[in-house]
Amino acid sequence: MSFPNPVTSVKLVLLGEAAVGKSSLVLRFVSNEFQENKEPTIGAAFLTQKLTIGDRAIKYEIWDTAGQERFASLAPMYYRNAQAALVVYDVTKPASFVKARQWVKELREQASKDITIALVGNKYDLVEDDNEEDLVRKVNVEEGQNLADEEGLLFFETSAKTGYNVKDVFVAIGNKIPEATASGSDTATNQTSGEGRIDLSGGGNFNNATSGCC
Amino acid sequence: MLFFESIRDRAVNTWNQVVEKSSDGKLTKDQKFCLKFRLPEGEVVSKEIAAEIDITSKLVPGVPKRSSNIPQGKLYLTGHFLVFKDAFDSRTCSFNIHLLTVRKVERSNSDIYGLALEITTFSSTVITIFLLGMRSECERFALELRLQLKKNLKDVKKLGPFIHTCYSEYLLSKNKVIKEKFDSVPSGGLGLVFKFPGDARELKDKSKMKLWFDYFQSDGRNLSIIKTPMFYKLVRVGLPNRLRGELWEVCSGSIYLRYDNVGVYHKLLDDNKGRTSVAIEEIEKDLNRSLPEYAAYQSPEGINRLRNVLSAYSWRNPELGYCQAMNIVVAALLIYMSEEQAFWTLNSLCETIVPGYYSKTMYGTLLDQKVFESLVQQTIPILWDHIVKHDIQLSVVSLPWFLSLYISSMPLVFAFRILDIFFLQGPKTLFQVALAILKLNGEKLLKCEDDGTFIMVIKNYFQTLHLSAHGESPHPKFRQITNFQELLVTAFKEFSIITDDMIDKHRSKHRGGIFQNISTFVKRTEIRNLPKTPNLNSGTLDIIYDRFYSVVESLSLTTGGGSLMDFEAFKTFMSEICVWAQFDNPTNNNDAFLKRLFIKWDIDARHELSLSDLVRGLNTLVEPDLMTAISNFFELYDPKKRGKLDREGILEISEDLLYLTTPWKDGYVLDHLTNVAIENTIADEIIKHKTINGINDVEDEDIKLPETFNIDRQKLEQAQIERYLAGASNFIQRAFEYAQPAEDDEHPEELLIKELAIDSAFSHNKALNPNSPVTVNLPTFRMVILADETYELFFSKTFRESVQVSKPLDSKFNPIRNLRDMFDGLIADGREVANKVRRRMDSAASNALLQINNNGGYESKPPKSKLGEGEDDDEDDEDEEERDDDFGVISIDDKDRALLLGAEAQDLLIKVSESKSGSSTTANSTSTSASTDAPPTSSTSTDAQTKRMLFIATKSDTNLIDFEV
Repeated sequence: MSFPNPVTSVKLVLLGEAAVGKSSLVLRFVSNEFQENKEPTIGAAFLTQKLTIGDRAIKYEIWDTAGQERFASLAPMYYRNAQAALVVYDVTKPASFVKARQWVKELREQASKDITIALVGNKYDLVEDDNEEDLVRKVNVEEGQNLADEEGLLFFETSAKTGYNVKDVFVAIGNKIPEATASGSDTATNQTSGEGRIDLSGGGNFNNATSGCC
Repeated sequence: MLFFESIRDRAVNTWNQVVEKSSDGKLTKDQKFCLKFRLPEGEVVSKEIAAEIDITSKLVPGVPKRSSNIPQGKLYLTGHFLVFKDAFDSRTCSFNIHLLTVRKVERSNSDIYGLALEITTFSSTVITIFLLGMRSECERFALELRLQLKKNLKDVKKLGPFIHTCYSEYLLSKNKVIKEKFDSVPSGGLGLVFKFPGDARELKDKSKMKLWFDYFQSDGRNLSIIKTPMFYKLVRVGLPNRLRGELWEVCSGSIYLRYDNVGVYHKLLDDNKGRTSVAIEEIEKDLNRSLPEYAAYQSPEGINRLRNVLSAYSWRNPELGYCQAMNIVVAALLIYMSEEQAFWTLNSLCETIVPGYYSKTMYGTLLDQKVFESLVQQTIPILWDHIVKHDIQLSVVSLPWFLSLYISSMPLVFAFRILDIFFLQGPKTLFQVALAILKLNGEKLLKCEDDGTFIMVIKNYFQTLHLSAHGESPHPKFRQITNFQELLVTAFKEFSIITDDMIDKHRSKHRGGIFQNISTFVKRTEIRNLPKTPNLNSGTLDIIYDRFYSVVESLSLTTGGGSLMDFEAFKTFMSEICVWAQFDNPTNNNDAFLKRLFIKWDIDARHELSLSDLVRGLNTLVEPDLMTAISNFFELYDPKKRGKLDREGILEISEDLLYLTTPWKDGYVLDHLTNVAIENTIADEIIKHKTINGINDVEDEDIKLPETFNIDRQKLEQAQIERYLAGASNFIQRAFEYAQPAEDDEHPEELLIKELAIDSAFSHNKALNPNSPVTVNLPTFRMVILADETYELFFSKTFRESVQVSKPLDSKFNPIRNLRDMFDGLIADGREVANKVRRRMDSAASNALLQINNNGGYESKPPKSKLGEGEDDDEDDEDEEERDDDFGVISIDDKDRALLLGAEAQDLLIKVSESKSGSSTTANSTSTSASTDAPPTSSTSTDAQTKRMLFIATKSDTNLIDFEV
């Protein structure tokens, strides 16, 4: 796979309460897979994925962090120098939204000043069939949107399970990242294209279900 | 919100740990002994003696095995154990024989040694102990041994049921080596039902079993096992599936915990059935995602066992609760262990083997990551330089190795081999393996210039552990060596230089830094989640945080302290930052005001303030908006939010104001008005000086005080004192003057207006009558405060500035400086004065410079500095009274006052006037400088005050708009 244009590297970090689906979002984005019982992330995990948006090639360097409260003190190690962050909550768990708010606060205070933050309400699949009597959803779209508006964040509701909106989050982040951070050569990225990496050079077409393995 | 609780807990824990830290190096000798020999905490060495050991077994007939190489070392006796370790190499021979397992002790005849004892254990092992030393010493040891054995006798019946839970016993019984009958297989791991990971044949499980079968016969088992070099060899080659659980227990020492605490595990589960907690919720989240690839964890059977062990531990150690990674470790343990075995092994892990790994702050994990980095730097410097150069986050790969003991990093069969050695040798194993992994992949890793490739190299390596390390080698023997074998050899041969001592040294080196980081992090998080406080910036919150915990800590009765502040601590806190809180209240009710604050700020009414409460309260205390500041103050006296104060309330508020203004009233601290007056005096002097010398340009460097310059300190001091006394007396008079009769609750304002219109004198009399209840509402209170310049300033500036929330913790509180010092300070601080003077001169020079010869320049002063005149007002008290008269308020002489205000008010007024007359005397005697520039007539000043009054009335209380009419 060759990229005609220089590759823009984006350091991206995922934050959010335990079991909201951070690792699953990454797995969906990187391998287009879903695992029902994904082991909790211990400390952090690192994955990369390349994506072509229009005429730009973007390499996402994804730091997936552990969600449990006590691991929070490790997070600064991973969001240091991050250009983008996904703050993830579970649309069926109000506490996870409170936690998301706190992560946004922490990022605003501690992370790079120009960090692009996307607020992501995951597990949309669980609320798709909500009827009015018995709502599984506990965090309204409006609540998410309000927080995003207040803090100037991108906002998406996603489902790592179905793939709904997952790629859109990453594309939106890619679009917000300035071209300045382009790395001169493609050599580094060639090295990283190991097992399980997928190239998603789909031009402007971001249909979730289609991604081909290289 | 649970989250805040947890943050608070964390803050407390960190404090606890910091406290612990200081005592960390001071483990008692016995504690160290227990740690070293993996004995349960609390064992105390009662006797120790040098000894030589020989071991035979009644189950294995033959000659004594080690006639040529007799282990020599120290023999220790504790409450429940007989402990031995070879002095030269502990691997030669060591044991912790539980005294309960001793069946027989005989004196043995020996020509060479003073005394020899033959100890037969229930495993039919015979340990011959040759005691070395003086005969009497040996006899004393033997006596002590007999004593301890007797003490243990009462528990002997516990042994029978316990050995029925040991697979080693079952194995011997099944093979008819011992007579003990087993009705069933002892309960064990999930592997017995769901198959053990790996291929048993490939793992040579059967021959390993046979070797252990032999070992158990010759060297004992479970509670009475003796570790010889063979023991280490057998652990190295990997433990057989069915014995792994028990041998992990033996190696980790958790078997003694389980033995000592029979029934505790099940009781924990029963007692906490149906209860929930944060930890339980966290555990539930992870049950389905713990080694999900292992069949048992896709079934309720496995999930239940995992839930039980994790929950039970969270109840046993609620401080720790549950940490992710424990689910993986316990899931692994449960494959080979029963629930109870796994539970006690988890105890050993969390509390003795890797303490702090899973705690709330995870300080052990963070510390060992730091230690690991140091060791990489020390042992593989080339790689370390590379990692630093390319800013690679080593912890992303290494942290899970340590935290989940390699279980989630490499294929299970290999992880269990590492775990075998880890339980035997302790945490150094984790470091040795980690270093070996980096070393063996060194060349590839040196080519990685980013985290991604670095991680990928390691990941790939773990997936190829079963492959040949030398696939290309022509020698078939070489080709047989797998990557994993090579890893073990590198870890335990090459990195055998990594010793426990070395790790300890590195740990103590980094401990301080790690604690510092954790404290900083906890602090930052807690501050970030405090309520919004527009009047306190983040730097100030930082200081408040430190001060809060330092006060709470220092006054806490329990070690470690809490995270809430009681009233005593609050008093200390306030007296450290507020000048007035250091004075005695003249009303002998020193704490009245602080109590009021405390109750108001204690939102949850728990008689303690959290940091949030305190910060929220301080935020209101330093409110910069005058009107808000006044209403905040009013609300303190109106806890029921009735919007008005009764007579009692008015008196309390005036008492407290008297108390709060003490530092200024008594002339200890200068307020803004006095400062302005000083500056003016200085500026005037400078200008005068310049004019005399014919200098008209105003340059900074020219602004110097004439050398002969003197300020009449006493005059200025007296002026301030007088202002505050007048303020106090004005307050109480006006408050009652404008108070409304309480019975007219419904339309107090209307009535007030009416009354004012009819006959002010009459209505005031009525209001002040102690027999008719009166109230003061907020607008009236505001008006009364704003009517007095000093009191207005007090609320807009003086009081707020007296609450020095941003004073750093380590700065000693300035002992209250007297006025003299303050003057000296002002003058000494040249630049500050120069600035002020220049500003003043800029405005003054333009219009007043020409007249300067005739006059001190008072005319040209900005309106604020009018207080300069006030200084001179105080010469006689008549002025004050007259001013009040002019103001349209009836004059009240002392007699009337007593009548009108009632007893309490009288007391208060007496106090005011007493201190007033006291200071007036001083004023009269000291004010020597006759004022040449006569003060502007009091009518001017009172005019101004009347205007103020009217303005306020219009502004703050529309109902008083007709006041002038």
